[in-house]
Amino acid sequence: MKIRDGARVAILATCHSPLVTTLLLSGAMLFCVSPESRAQSNLVGHANDFSSVEYYPAPNQLQIKSRLSGAEAQPLTGGLLAIKQLKLETFGADGKSEIVVNAPECLYDQLGGTASSAGRLQVQYQEGKIRVEGEGFLWRQNDSFLTISNRISTVLEFGAGRMN
Amino acid sequence: MAGAGLLRAQTNTATNTTTNVADEILALVTTNTPASKPSSRPETRIEAEGPADFDLAGRRVIYHEHVRVDSANMRLTCEWLAADLPQTGGRVTNIVAESNVVVDAADEKGQKMHATGDKAVYVYRVENGVTNETVTLTGNARLENGQGWLTGDSIIWDRVHERLSVPSNPKMIFHQAITSSEAGTNSLATATNSLVTATNSLATGTNSPAGVTHAPAVNTNLPSATAKAPATATNFPTGKPDLTHKSNLSPKSF
Repeated sequence: MKIRDGARVAILATCHSPLVTTLLLSGAMLFCVSPESRAQSNLVGHANDFSSVEYYPAPNQLQIKSRLSGAEAQPLTGGLLAIKQLKLETFGADGKSEIVVNAPECLYDQLGGTASSAGRLQVQYQEGKIRVEGEGFLWRQNDSFLTISNRISTVLEFGAGRMN
Repeated sequence: MAGAGLLRAQTNTATNTTTNVADEILALVTTNTPASKPSSRPETRIEAEGPADFDLAGRRVIYHEHVRVDSANMRLTCEWLAADLPQTGGRVTNIVAESNVVVDAADEKGQKMHATGDKAVYVYRVENGVTNETVTLTGNARLENGQGWLTGDSIIWDRVHERLSVPSNPKMIFHQAITSSEAGTNSLATATNSLVTATNSLATGTNSPAGVTHAPAVNTNLPSATAKAPATATNFPTGKPDLTHKSNLSPKSF
């Protein structure tokens, strides 16, 4: 596994299959890997209650860049990975939370670099000051583009300027 | 009413009738909320039926189809809305709403405002310590409240100073007759206040004088003629009048 920018990835899982490390690395890269690292992932294992962490490169190598966890990850044909109870957190170099993504289920296309689901999605931005929910989503990894298909609800805790 | 004194002061000079009428009209449609009012900042909710695209790299989100923005004192609906995603600790500084834009707002006293247009642009800026916050409505822009309605090529709502400006083609119609302005007496303010109250009563469903509230007696075409204004048709000097005006009228119009 080639990890971009010299970042480190740490992985924890309660249940390992022989190739669970590869699986978890792929999951860890769901929202934050480069295309070359995706292409090198080959998934044949299954994991429960997994968690993985990506760190910033030096000199912030002790700061967590992202943490991805899930209740279950199941590899499927065609390079797809089915993840249940997905939770992704990203952090700034200063350690502040940036984005928290929760989805009950998610299908990750390793080759295409996309994540999608017909189910619910919750996104918290700016430590929860902006909260987004919706039904059905597509995440494009390459350009950090998220489309939520239906029943979108966004809550701005601080409003828009003085609009409140 | 706190603003009545200001209106009286402006109407006492008979030789300055035209200018004063302009001020009075703007006073009627301009809020008087102090810029430093405390803001509780409750939640603002944006909902849409169609897809929403979040460009996290570009920090921008676009909502489609039956978009609705709800906050404590305002509701905006449209078919397409784009907003920036703020930096950490920041706030939304740019919002563009397009297609069938409808804004309904109310002040703390419950006085309602209804605005429509093809496009609304919200901008929030802090430059050199000065806060600028505006909502610009364009494309068949129309704004209405209990006192009357206002149209123009664009209607700019300065939210910091709580004032409205209409840079071009302003037109105002009021649900009252400014019949006493020629005399330059205090009676205009008295009549204004009573009519405002009556109009608001109508809006809230209570009994009010029907003959007063249903009569848009004043049709004001600002930039057209220069003739002396009759009592019920006020024509302002040619050119582009400065329509920005801060009123102390209370309760605020919007």
